[in-house]
Formats: sequence, C-alpha cells, structure tokens
Amino acid sequence: MISQIGSLALSISGGLILSTFFFLFYYSIKKNKIFLDISERGLIAVCFCVILATLCLLNELLISNFNLQYVSQYTSYETPLFFKVTALWAGQAGSLLFWTFIMSIYSLIYINVSLRKMYELKFWSYIMLSFIFGFFLLLSNFVANPFEPVSSDIIVQNGNGLNPLLQNVTMAIHPPTLYLGFIGTTILFVMALSALISRSLTFEWIQSIRRWSLIVWTFLSAGIILGGYWAYNELGWGGYWAWDPVENSSLMPWLILTAFIHSSMIQEKRGMLKSWNILLAASTFLLVILGTFITRSGIVSSVHSFTAENLGPLFLGFLTSLILFTVYWFFKRFDLLKSDKKIDSFSSREGGFLYNNLILLLMCFIVLWGTLFPILSEAWNGEKIYVGATYFNQLNVPIGLVLLFLMGIGPLLSWKNTSNSKLLSNFKIPMIVSFVSGIIYSLFFGPFQLYPLVTCMGIAFTATSISNEFRKSYKKSKNKDKSIGSAFASMMLNNRHKNGGYIVHIGITLLFVGFIGRAFEVEKEFNLSPGEEIYFANYIFKLNSIKSEARDNHYAFISDMDVIDQSNNLITSLYPEKRIYFYWNPDPEKRQPHSELDIYSTMRKDIYSIFSAYDAEKNQGYFKIMINPLVNWVWIGGIVMVIGSLFAFWPSKRRDYGVV
Amino acid sequence: MNRIYTSLILVFALIVIWTIYLTNVKQDNSLTIRYYTIEELVSKESSLSTRVKVGGLIKPNSISINAEDQLEVSFYVYQGNDSLKVYYYGIRPDLFKDDAEVVVAGSFNDNLIVATELQTKCASRYEGDLKNIEKI
Repeated sequence: MISQIGSLALSISGGLILSTFFFLFYYSIKKNKIFLDISERGLIAVCFCVILATLCLLNELLISNFNLQYVSQYTSYETPLFFKVTALWAGQAGSLLFWTFIMSIYSLIYINVSLRKMYELKFWSYIMLSFIFGFFLLLSNFVANPFEPVSSDIIVQNGNGLNPLLQNVTMAIHPPTLYLGFIGTTILFVMALSALISRSLTFEWIQSIRRWSLIVWTFLSAGIILGGYWAYNELGWGGYWAWDPVENSSLMPWLILTAFIHSSMIQEKRGMLKSWNILLAASTFLLVILGTFITRSGIVSSVHSFTAENLGPLFLGFLTSLILFTVYWFFKRFDLLKSDKKIDSFSSREGGFLYNNLILLLMCFIVLWGTLFPILSEAWNGEKIYVGATYFNQLNVPIGLVLLFLMGIGPLLSWKNTSNSKLLSNFKIPMIVSFVSGIIYSLFFGPFQLYPLVTCMGIAFTATSISNEFRKSYKKSKNKDKSIGSAFASMMLNNRHKNGGYIVHIGITLLFVGFIGRAFEVEKEFNLSPGEEIYFANYIFKLNSIKSEARDNHYAFISDMDVIDQSNNLITSLYPEKRIYFYWNPDPEKRQPHSELDIYSTMRKDIYSIFSAYDAEKNQGYFKIMINPLVNWVWIGGIVMVIGSLFAFWPSKRRDYGVV
Repeated sequence: MNRIYTSLILVFALIVIWTIYLTNVKQDNSLTIRYYTIEELVSKESSLSTRVKVGGLIKPNSISINAEDQLEVSFYVYQGNDSLKVYYYGIRPDLFKDDAEVVVAGSFNDNLIVATELQTKCASRYEGDLKNIEKI
C-alpha cells in the first residue's frame, strides 16, 4: 500500500513538472504574473511529492517489504535498523531518489527564502529547476524506479543484506554529506545563470550566492574528508586518498567552488570578474554531473563504480544540454559582463586571488585530464591508457605547495596595490619563521627529502602570517575593550567572514601537516603463529593468540597482538579481525570475508594492522602492518576547516560580508 | 589585455602543455599504464616491455594458493573464451574469489602476468542481483 503511494507520488511529480513547463511557457507569452505564481506552486508541489515518495521508500525499507526489488537487494531481516535507513542511498535507484529528495529540500529553501528577495530571477530559475527535476524524475520513473516490485513468479523470503563494508557509521554519514554538497551546486548553477539571463547581477545576488556557496563548500569538504576517513578505517589499504575516478569527481567541483569563493570576493569588493564568476559557479554543477556520469556509466574502470544499469548515455545527454545552455547564454550576455576596472598590480590582494584561481584551476585541469585520459586516449588512437597515482602526485604536489604558500602571502597583500616597503615589512617575519623551521626540520628530521622540507616551511610561513593577522585585529579591538576575554570575543565576532576564512586556512595548513606523513609511510606483510614475534620499524610485534567467535551477523577470528618498543615497553595491543559475513550460508560462494582493521592512533603516528588471512591447519595468521605518520592531522584539519566555514557562514549583525 | 591576465594565462598554458607532454609524448612507465583486454594479449603478443593493466573475471577453480606461504597465489583471469595466467604475491582483497571481477597490473612475460597490483571491483556497493536471493 505504502509503496503504491510512493510510486504514485513519483508519477504525479513527473506530471507536475510537465504542467509547470506549460505554465512557464504561457507566462512567457502572456506576461501575466498569475502563471508564474502557478508554476511556483507547481514546483513546490513537486518537491513535496518527492519528499513523500522518499518517506514511503524509507518506510518499506524499515518494515522489510521484500516485495520491492530494491528493498530485497539491499537489506535483509538481519540488517540492523540503522543500516536499513542508510540502505536508502546504498543502491542506484534509491540514491537517485535520494538525490532528488535533497534537491527538493534545497529548492524549497531557494524558492521560499532566496527568491523572495530577488523577484527578477524567478522565471529563469523555475525553468532550469523544472528541467533538472524533470531529468531526475525521468530516471526515477522510467529507468531506475525504486518501487519496482520483484518479478511475480518468486517470493523472496529474505533480502540480500547490506555490504558489510557499508555497515559503518562513517559510511552512513559520508554519502549524504557529499550529496548535500553535490546537489547544492544545482542552486549555484540555477542562480548564476538566471541572474545572467535576466541581467540582474546585483549586490544582493552576489551576497546570496556567496552564502549558498559557503553552505555547499562546507558539505562538500566534510563529505570528502569523511570519505577519506572511511577508506582509511575500513578498506584496509592504509591510505585515505588514491586518485580513484570517484574521488576525483568529488575533488574537481570542490576545487572550482573554492576558486569561486575567492574570486567572487573580488566581485563583491570591486565589481570585477563578473563573467569569470558566472563561469565558475556554473562549472561546479557541470563538474558534478560529469562526475556522476563517470561513476554511473562504468566508462572508466574504478574500484567503486556502479555497474547494474547503464545511465551513462542519459547523463551524457543531460550534461551536453547543460553545457550548450551555459555557453549560449554566456556569449549572448557577454556585453553585461564587461567591467571597466582593471587589476594592475601583481602585488595586490586581487592579484593574490587571481593566483589562487590559477592554481585551483590548474589542479582541476590536471585531475580532469588524468581522470578522462583513458577515454581520451582510446578515442585518439584506440589504446586505453590509464594514469596512475604517480601522475597526479607528480603534478599536483608542487602546485599544491604553491597554494600553501599563497595562503600565507594573501593576507600580506593590500587591495589595489601593496607598496614595496610594506611588502618587505609584511613578509619579513613569516619568511624568517619559515627558514628557521626549515633548518630545525633538516637538523632533527633527516634524511633530506625535498617536498616534506618545503611543506614544513610553507606551513610555518602560512601559520605565522595568519596568526599575525589575528594578532593585529586583536590589538585593534584591545584598544577599544579593556578585558582580554571581551577583546578576543569582539575581535572574532566582529568580522566573522574574514576570521572564518582564516580558520579554514589554518585547517588546510593542518591538512598539509598530515600530507607530510605520506612521505614516511612504511609497511610490512608477514605471517605469525601464536607466541611468535617479528621486528619491524623499531617495534616488536608479538602475536599472543588467535581466537574465534560467532557473533550476530558474522563469524570472527580475532588476533591479539602486542606492540612493544625498543626499550621493552608495551605500547599497545592490537586486535585486528578476520570476519566472515553470511557464514551460515551453505554455499561458500555467498560467504563474504572482511578484514576488520585495528589502528593504534596518536598525533605522531598510526600503527595500522590488518589480519588478512588465517590458516587453520597451521594455526597461522597473515598480517600487514603499516606505520603511517601524522595521519590524525588530516582529520583535525578537516574538522577545523568545517568549523571555520560554519563560522564564516553564521550571519553577523553587522553587514560586513565584504571586508575580507 | 593587461599584463597580469596575460601572464596568468601564459602560466596556465605552459602547465597544460607540460601535462599533455607527460602523458602523451614522454614514454614514462611510472606515469601511464596501458589497459589491454585479455583477447589482445593472448592473440597478439607473448611478452611486452611495458607494464600492463588487464581486467577480467577469475576463472572458477583456478585459484591456487601456496600451502607454505599463503601470500603466494596464481590464478587465471578470463573474458569470453580467452584466459591468462596471473601470479601475485601479497595480501589479497577480501572479495577475491571465483568469478570475482578483478583488475591486475604488472609485467607481461611468456603469457604470464606477474602482478604487482590486484584489485577486486565493487568495494562500495553491493550490486548483487536476485540470483543471490533464496527462492521457494
């Protein structure tokens, strides 16, 4: 019954989209405001129908209605309640509906909050929203319908159950967070183009789109970091980033959105770069759709691409029409975008933002080129050639280091022009600190490696420069206030946008601390029987025992391994497990092994242990141990980034958005 | 066009050209790796000087694990009627079993792939179909 309601709601929303188009068309001829209002109601009704359909699917997942194909594919009676909820986005059909669901929530906010103040954007916003909704509803209704019943000749007793890798709290938060970021770019696209087409690039508009871009950026950043965190803690290859096409397609919109957040400040402050900003805002969405195309078409081999249904051609068609639309209006409205002001000085704040844009764009190009290279090379001469992590690192690491220094240089530059003497005095302290830390690093943490050394110097430079900014504004507010606490509070609160930005930059600096660690990772694979020990990376790993235990939904072999340092102190005990899910299944084919890691984590290094195989006859375990320095700083950096952007987003009483 | 834009565009163009040079012109085995179908390898060559990447399914009952050292394994990958022998030493992914979809990368000599990378597909989704569901 409930599933019929959901299915009906999906069909109705499809019909509503068609009628919305009809009324918009009518409005464009008659210019009668009533038709615009009707189409607005229509869109709002679509949103509510989609929300209803999603709630229906959720209900079916919770009550385990295995008459639905989707429910039986991704859940079973044994699936814990929490993961029945997350199964909503575990598969193709559900995740598409979930996508439309989030888009509905965003659209409701956009229509009811942002557009209330920008009446002139309504018409084109509704057209584009209807088009995008139309596409996703087409998929949900006709291609990947989550309410599809199982074929009538079978009765399903129990469902497949959710992949054990996905039965993890991070994996439950990561996709929705990333989706909130991805789908938020829709609003940026709609907002940028509707303003362009209706010729209303107002100050109101730039402020509003900046607020939206901060929300989207926060979710996107959090989603990417959470994805890395999940990969590190669950997948067992010891890293958090592998330049996989799926990861790349989330990084590309992030890079471009970051560029937009910076360059739109120039527009807000000085009315320049309008055309550039429109392009950046629109491109974030285009890159999201490109990424979705890559992951859902199976065109590039990725360890985690969807394979069940091929949505590739549909997404390609959708992407092409969006690109053509953007390009058409961009050239048609080019006259609007010209600015009479110019950026003249290399050493100005505007210049700094431009360098930032250059770097981020280059990184995006490199990632895009590498991701699409197999397709491009195959089209070029029929040879499918992949580029590996080496390619991405070789090009992106030096460029990323320039970006790191640039975060420190930016605040030292003034708007319009910085005089040479001021430049010199501004740079002096950060430069000295940077060199000193470089020397300290070389003396105490040899052997010499170029990138870690430069990264260390960059971190010192940027951290000094940013803390100097905080010190200066603290001094300013100290002159007004008397107590230290209230001076600090008023300094932080008075200019939230600027301070939030600096907090984000500190977060990114901390990320780089974590990246240094990658240069010093070591690993070893070995086998041990209980009672035996092995020496590796200045530690002794001593296997005490391997126990086995039947648990609720799996069977586990649990190893007990002591880590002892050179002076014979027990550092920690590690308990990596080898689990067999679906072990009750008589067919060994259907059982699924899973290695549950154990990680001893400190600020300085992680000891990462994997129990990869168990030989019952010899009572011998096969293990992999990795020593990963500084990984925790990546997560800390991520948290600081998110805190900073929330801080910047939080509305302040004073209208001081444009002061950065 | 003013100076600052011109120089920025120049830098951008230079790095773009450098990227294209690295991937297309320079024959660097650490950067690029060619993907072959099993059919291509079986029919055309028996040895190659460059590293190769091959995808296929694990032939059922072809996995043979060294009893002395369980990290050592050899198996056949197949696609259609063609198959190739693969040797691998190291920890295998959890999903490594008969008929699993794998991507291997390594050197190709005398019709044997000595793999340095072994990945199984489908880490983040459970795309089973209804054949896995118990029926009455």
